Amino acid sequence: MHEIGVRETVQLAGFTFNWETLEMTWLTMAIVILIAFLATRSLSLVPRGWQMVVELIIGWLHGQIDAMMGKSGRFLAPFIVSLFMFLLVGNWIGLVPTLSSPTNDLNTTLALALTVIVMVHFLGVYKKGFHYLAHFFQPTPVFVVINIIEEIAKPITLACRLFGNILAGEILIIVLLMLMPIWMPIPAVCWLAFSIFIGGVQAVIFTMLSMAYLANAVKEDTEE
Amino acid sequence: MIDLNMTFFAQILNFLILVAILRALCYKPVVRMIKAREDKIAESLEKADADVAAAEELKAKYQAQLAEARQQAQAITDKAEKVASQLKEDKLQETKREVEQMKESARAEIQRDQERAQDQIRAQVVALSIQAAGKIVSDKMTADADAEEVGKFIDTLDKDKIGDLSC
Repeated sequence: MHEIGVRETVQLAGFTFNWETLEMTWLTMAIVILIAFLATRSLSLVPRGWQMVVELIIGWLHGQIDAMMGKSGRFLAPFIVSLFMFLLVGNWIGLVPTLSSPTNDLNTTLALALTVIVMVHFLGVYKKGFHYLAHFFQPTPVFVVINIIEEIAKPITLACRLFGNILAGEILIIVLLMLMPIWMPIPAVCWLAFSIFIGGVQAVIFTMLSMAYLANAVKEDTEE
Repeated sequence: MIDLNMTFFAQILNFLILVAILRALCYKPVVRMIKAREDKIAESLEKADADVAAAEELKAKYQAQLAEARQQAQAITDKAEKVASQLKEDKLQETKREVEQMKESARAEIQRDQERAQDQIRAQVVALSIQAAGKIVSDKMTADADAEEVGKFIDTLDKDKIGDLSC
């Protein structure tokens, strides 16, 4: 039986790694790369199969990027597309029996959230210079503490929201399967279907919030 | 449950590797294909617009040709009607002339027949008169006297009924 919250760890060069999380991450990466390979192995002007799925995702994310950041944000599209596809597959993979989501580990979600936040500040300084830092003192310098707390809260909330939802979903599936007899799987199946929906929604929320944070850094002041 | 360790950095590395792979393997080719499709659609739309414009131009040209052909057909019909009308009139006049000529000819023939009949009648009357008078007065008169008597007799006859029989 899968033990909730307990992860197998390994020691490498004196450092501790959650081995299951890494395995599931690599599996997720392999699936995403496989989807990318299937989508691009025979590209045609009339999309079919996986090409159509990937084109739909890229087209939708392009639309969101254009709406939030304008055309100047298109260079972030590969990052956003990769983030969304990784989260979507990572959230759903935990619904397969014996597997677990890489996103049910705070290490994963916090890594993704901090990557986004670091990119936000890096791009902000890169695009706007040190004038970017002025937004910490808006609307008045008194707010600098609140603004800094807000900036710290962003990756934490981003990470914890995803981690909590996915972990709670998986815990509930395990609990339902333990409580219900095998011949009455309806509650577990219903929750599984709901978890599929939640996994998609959480991937969308994480991606959209990341785009919103990145948009503040990428957009010109006149565009805001 | 919440144990942050080096997995955090490994996940950052994993994700950045995934971004690099997907960018090269998936994003760029798919975006190129989307662009190619958009170009193709734009080109097709432009071609369709050009085809529509060409078709409109051709339609206008054909309509002009059709109108011209109708005008020509109308002109030919008018001309044919005019020629037919003229031919009819000419034929009518010619027929009238022929009828008139035939009437004239018939009238002259009748005149000639009438004169011929009068001559025959006159000759027969003279012969019969001479014959009758000869029987009556054969002994008393000579031939010259008989002729003179007969001429006088004929002169007394009604000219309106038997015509002019002067000798």
